[in-house]
Amino acid sequence: MSIFDEGLTEAQMIEHMKNLASKNKVLKSYIGMGYYNTLVPPVILRNIMENPGWYTQYTPYQAEISQGRLESLLNFQTMITDLTGLPMSNASLLDEGTAAAEAMAMCNNIEKGKKKTFVIASNCHPQTIDICKTRADGFGLKVVVSDINEIDYKSGDVCGVLVQYPGTEGEILDYGEFIKNAHANGVKVVMASDLLALIMLKTPGELGADIVVGSAQRFGVPMGYGGPHAAFLATSQEYKRMMPGRIIGVSIDATGKTALRMAMQTREQHIRRDKATSNICTAQALLANMAAMYAVYHGPEGLKTIAQRVHGLAGTFAAGLKKLGTVEVQGLPFFDTVKVKCAESKVIADAAYKNGINLRILDKNNITVSFDETTTLEDVDNLFEVFASGKPVTFTAASLASDVQNVIPPGLARESSYLTHSIFNSCHTEHELLRYISRLQSKDLSLCHSMIPLGSCTMKLNATT
Amino acid sequence: MMPVTWPAFADLHPFAPNEQTAGYQEMFKNLGEMLCTITGFDSFSLQPNAGAAGEYAGLMVIRAYHLSRGDHHRDVCIIPVSAHGTNPASAAMCGMKIVAVGTDAKGNINIEELRKAAEANKENLAALMVTYPSTHGVYEEGIDEICKIIHDNGGQVYMDGANMNAQVGLTSPGFIGADVCHLNLHKTFCIPHGGGGPGMGPIGVKKHLAPFLPSHPVVPTGGIPAPYKSQPLGTISAAPWGSALILPISYTYIAMMGSKGLTEASKIAILNANYMAKRLEKHYPVLFRGVNGTVAHEFIVDLRGFKQTAGIEPEDVAKRLMDYGFHGPTMSWPVPGTLMIEPTESESKAELDRFCDALISIREEIAQIEKGNADVHNNVLKGAPHPPSLLMADAWTKPYSREYAAFPAPWLRNAKFWPTTGRVDNVYGDRNLICTLLPVSQMAEEPAAATA
Repeated sequence: MSIFDEGLTEAQMIEHMKNLASKNKVLKSYIGMGYYNTLVPPVILRNIMENPGWYTQYTPYQAEISQGRLESLLNFQTMITDLTGLPMSNASLLDEGTAAAEAMAMCNNIEKGKKKTFVIASNCHPQTIDICKTRADGFGLKVVVSDINEIDYKSGDVCGVLVQYPGTEGEILDYGEFIKNAHANGVKVVMASDLLALIMLKTPGELGADIVVGSAQRFGVPMGYGGPHAAFLATSQEYKRMMPGRIIGVSIDATGKTALRMAMQTREQHIRRDKATSNICTAQALLANMAAMYAVYHGPEGLKTIAQRVHGLAGTFAAGLKKLGTVEVQGLPFFDTVKVKCAESKVIADAAYKNGINLRILDKNNITVSFDETTTLEDVDNLFEVFASGKPVTFTAASLASDVQNVIPPGLARESSYLTHSIFNSCHTEHELLRYISRLQSKDLSLCHSMIPLGSCTMKLNATT
Repeated sequence: MMPVTWPAFADLHPFAPNEQTAGYQEMFKNLGEMLCTITGFDSFSLQPNAGAAGEYAGLMVIRAYHLSRGDHHRDVCIIPVSAHGTNPASAAMCGMKIVAVGTDAKGNINIEELRKAAEANKENLAALMVTYPSTHGVYEEGIDEICKIIHDNGGQVYMDGANMNAQVGLTSPGFIGADVCHLNLHKTFCIPHGGGGPGMGPIGVKKHLAPFLPSHPVVPTGGIPAPYKSQPLGTISAAPWGSALILPISYTYIAMMGSKGLTEASKIAILNANYMAKRLEKHYPVLFRGVNGTVAHEFIVDLRGFKQTAGIEPEDVAKRLMDYGFHGPTMSWPVPGTLMIEPTESESKAELDRFCDALISIREEIAQIEKGNADVHNNVLKGAPHPPSLLMADAWTKPYSREYAAFPAPWLRNAKFWPTTGRVDNVYGDRNLICTLLPVSQMAEEPAAATA
């Protein structure tokens, strides 16, 4: 700590941080794997993420002075239930991987610890698989990672199975029959999913999944080199009392008026201790609020436009590669991630790096490219240059875009409505959203108002600079 | 806070190659070393992204250590009854069997009971989970001996870092004898609480445990500074360095405070708690003090007597505090029927006095009930909080005045934070569980004054 013995001044610190920042190189990311670039609406950035009125409050145990964020978190839960098609959601978990591990623990609890195997399909993100393996170790569960087509439940010892929709390499599979088969064998199905994809896809609820997990990061929360982001977990009414984490619920106040507060706290560690559904305490409220506000701002139509555009860019990219003929585009339907087979992944990756682009290298011959709401047609043109490996590109993404077809299989296209509540259909201008954010903020007591002397919580000054 | 929204920190993918993230890597290295200095540990993992995740990760490190020595049977975890609920919940997630030990009248761990528990489980002892200063807000005198008992019986000492704000610069978990500890960067190291997250729960360990710190399947990680060998326990979080984006907050806090400033902060935090305890002791019993009559960085105010004398519960006091513009302290933990107050170093004397004034004023309101001047069931505490919709309604049926309900202290005339709802009924909501937005037609009418 020698260089910091005396403490730096604010000005020195900013200089130091600028110096560190200059050593980070921000390349255009097409890596995917649960993390996507996103446009944080500045009205949310400045009025929630950078606003001590939203970032300095405590967990809303004291409901009467927390109705603002309770409402926003209820918006988050509503958004998650609408998009996943399952009726119960919690108010955020730490990240997608740990959410999957929590779902695994739920499967174990549903079976009362009698079935000691949890199966994970190999089309899940690698970090999700590893977290589940580590967590299973403590529970005395056995994790079997298997190709989706080779899973068998013959042992009778399987409590649950985890699949990803769309898969980590982008593929969209129809899990309808798979889920029926799992249920016929008494196995619960956990689905890791992607909120933006679910705008266009049949919901996990409609497919029959028991639990859905995922990350709300791409709903307006920066990637941040890994976090923080809000993960979610949704399930059916049947398993609601086994859910981990904070859940916001509707109740009434002393005068009979509707009021919100945290529900079913008897499941939680501060009351149930070692019998709790999880050890989770602090979650990701601020980030859940940002994601919920993103949905409030864009509304169902705006989100649909974003999802279709991302899907269209991926389709344009795939169409261009087919036209180029230098590489092979994988055959399965996709939402935003295109899998490409090439002669030498490393050669492509190096060319990409020279163009300021990061791709995901799967192996010696396979690459995936994940698109997001920040991608432009010019970006797709740059990708064409990379994958052309020197061959002249005689077309532009713009010239292809109009002919690109939606490749989502008709049977898996979303038909159900979502975000129909008025709050998701009334604040689509910056002014309206600013006022909504401000209205909610005015209901919450934060460090902006007074000290919050919570024992063992150390609510000290949170920097406002 | 500022760097958190700079694109050079915010727009990086967690699996971007390390050579593109040299700025972050340098910060991790500096931060890891600073945290080692502060805690007396040899290596840190920045992966766990909440305190409870840190507890779980720390216990998994201990588990991996025992397994590496062939001690597969070591699965007993001793936890004091006064521990945070996350402790037993985390231990259960590691497959550990929990043995509870009690506390003595002063709030310290009952050392003889602990010794017996440790000796009885000598063959299978994995760990002790202990909070220091204790959850009762006291610097436990016997902490050295406690650590020694556990070590002598083959166990490892896990320290809960929740009360680290009373240690920084004054003592350290490593010095005291702990083998592993998590830090709540969102408590001691200044990350805002966010209304219920985000947090960060990195763990520090002694040298012998460093090889077992978590790694990551996409971007291999390990202890900072790197240990001599690596046998990672597995993966704890989805991202290699957890919630990396908020680490600049703790990093800049530590760097700007400097070692002298951090030590000074701990002293002021303790001074503030003792000042408040001293002011309040004439009005409320203050539980648990150390041998010299002082408390650590937090203290417990005992309200249990008022149930008998005035029918008043801690919840009534917490809700009445809202009318004074305050958020109640921690309620009924670790002792039922009490409030636990932690002022921290960053509050001014004026603010501490304002809070004490509110509590003293509430004590007088309780006295009015005790004296029979106010009704036991219908009084200004039971009616709290008082939202504008109630105060401004045409009908007012309470036995006390509207003005006193809303403005019990002089500072409220200048600026007042208004609770927007009356006391919320928890039981009703759990019996009629609704956890999504109601269709607008079903919403009870929103009080117009709520946004005043």
